[in-house]
Amino acid sequence: MVRFVLSRALKAVLTVWIAITSTFFLLRLLPGDPTTLMVEGDMTPEMQAALLKTYGLDRPLWEQYVSYLRELVQGNLGISFRQIQPVTDIILDRLPWTLLLAGSAFVLTVAVGIPIGVTAAVNRGKWLDRALQGFGISANALFVPSVAILLLVFFGAQLGWFPIGGAIDPDTRGVGAYLSLAHHLVLPVLSLILVQLGPYALTLRTNMIEVLGEDYIRAAQARGLSARRRVWKHGLRNAILPALTLMGLQLGTLVGGAVLTETVFAYPGVGRLIYEAVGQQDYPVIQGAFIMLAVTVVIANALTDMLYAVLNPRIRL
Amino acid sequence: MSAPVLTEQAIPPVAPATTRRSSWYAYLRQPTVALSVLVLLVMVLMAVFAPLIADEPSGAGPDVLQPPSGAHWFGTDDLGQDIFAQVVWGTRTSLVIGLAASLIAIVLGTAIGLAAAYFRPIDAVATVITDVMLALPTLPLMIMLAAVVSPSVWTLTLIIGFFAWPEVARLIRSQGLVISAMPYIDGARVLGATGWRIVTREILPAVVSLMIVSVLLTASRAVISEAGLSFLGLGDPDAWSWGRILLNAQRSGTIAIAWWQTLFPSLAILLLVLSATLAGMRFNDTRDPRRNGG
Repeated sequence: MVRFVLSRALKAVLTVWIAITSTFFLLRLLPGDPTTLMVEGDMTPEMQAALLKTYGLDRPLWEQYVSYLRELVQGNLGISFRQIQPVTDIILDRLPWTLLLAGSAFVLTVAVGIPIGVTAAVNRGKWLDRALQGFGISANALFVPSVAILLLVFFGAQLGWFPIGGAIDPDTRGVGAYLSLAHHLVLPVLSLILVQLGPYALTLRTNMIEVLGEDYIRAAQARGLSARRRVWKHGLRNAILPALTLMGLQLGTLVGGAVLTETVFAYPGVGRLIYEAVGQQDYPVIQGAFIMLAVTVVIANALTDMLYAVLNPRIRL
Repeated sequence: MSAPVLTEQAIPPVAPATTRRSSWYAYLRQPTVALSVLVLLVMVLMAVFAPLIADEPSGAGPDVLQPPSGAHWFGTDDLGQDIFAQVVWGTRTSLVIGLAASLIAIVLGTAIGLAAAYFRPIDAVATVITDVMLALPTLPLMIMLAAVVSPSVWTLTLIIGFFAWPEVARLIRSQGLVISAMPYIDGARVLGATGWRIVTREILPAVVSLMIVSVLLTASRAVISEAGLSFLGLGDPDAWSWGRILLNAQRSGTIAIAWWQTLFPSLAILLLVLSATLAGMRFNDTRDPRRNGG
């Protein structure tokens, strides 16, 4: 188990390192590199050179890379072009909101997806099963902003049931603040769940059908175990494992969806920050946001894999 | 959805003797497939003949924020531009980027997937790279690159295509591994065929139908990616795109008022991607009757 955790952690670090390294060089090889972006047209060559020197952009590429890595390890992502503030501080301010949004969507998708997938598998060919198959296929075609806007217009603007933007009402205190938080969270989370749920429940259904045909389930039946116990206790335990892996792989998509949902609902997370930074051409913030989101996704993915190991007796050592 | 229809029609009693032509016919005869292909055809025609259908929207018009009417089928936006014309012209961008990006992804993904499936040393490296790419949040990654280069239809195509290959590579590799282990590959090796020849002449033909499926599914994802980037303000400023129409609604604050400005481009995305996905999945099912039961 310790060995598994260690190797998984090493893989996570390697993934982040490859991501950072490849984007560092890619960004500097692309036609519009940071030098031309930062230097305004009407500067004299001397001023340009001085500016480049200040930011260390006149040094050889590999030297820049080493110092960039050194700073990164210390948690330094550079300074924002627009707000004169460290990028790390700006992003850490926003990250909890994205974690709350994506985390809620993740947990709820699993919580709702399990009963739907299992019920569809048990009642194969019935209406729920067919509906799930249709929904699972069309979920692929759902564009997050479209879903988010639809929910916003209908439940927010027309019916007035939920707020159409923001994350919390600043005037609320105590329990009221938590309620306001949850109230603001409903529509953004729902847009993410609608997109994620179909494929997840469908995978669970397929696994469940496979598992229910296995010998040990028949053996359980022969021993006189109730159908409910066979399905929910013996079957689910094995069917859930591949579905968990899928959710781990989907984390990147989930975060991408969060970026788009936050933009629609003016939710103050990293996604909305990216949207604002794109409008202001604040490159250090955009790059920092990518790195932070990548690290978050990789860590969450590693945790999902470790959970898998805990649930799967074949890996538990 | 139409799984029962599929099991009745996709495996006709004549299955063992099907020629290439009749299996195409069986594929197209499925109602979902016929409908999907029809939608895709209409979209292609709209993209090709966009200038004949509607004038390219530009400048401001007198009719501001009009709901759909006889004069403006899909209504107008806050500048008085016709939404129908924007959607028609947006079809062009979406289709061009979707297809071109998916071709890049297919070529890269197939090359990497096949090389990994046949050559052991390449497999280790390719698998690590594929895993890393699949583990990263793709949209933020594309945002970062698109923000630095000046966005145009071609740079977006390159960026989207370059980050869509890992899924193709994984698919092709797993199929390629099965085929590499088949006796006729050993036979070719014994006859003295080179690795290059085995991969291009023996294994590649066996994954072609999987590549066709991948083109459709990858193009679907590419269309969604393009819409996402455009929605975040990273689209080509000189080309209309469905994501850009949504962005305009978002920026002008008309989302809650002008439902027509967001509904029609959203429907266009849904229709295009759903049709491509369905056509791809049904093709996959027709190709492999064993999958029909699942």
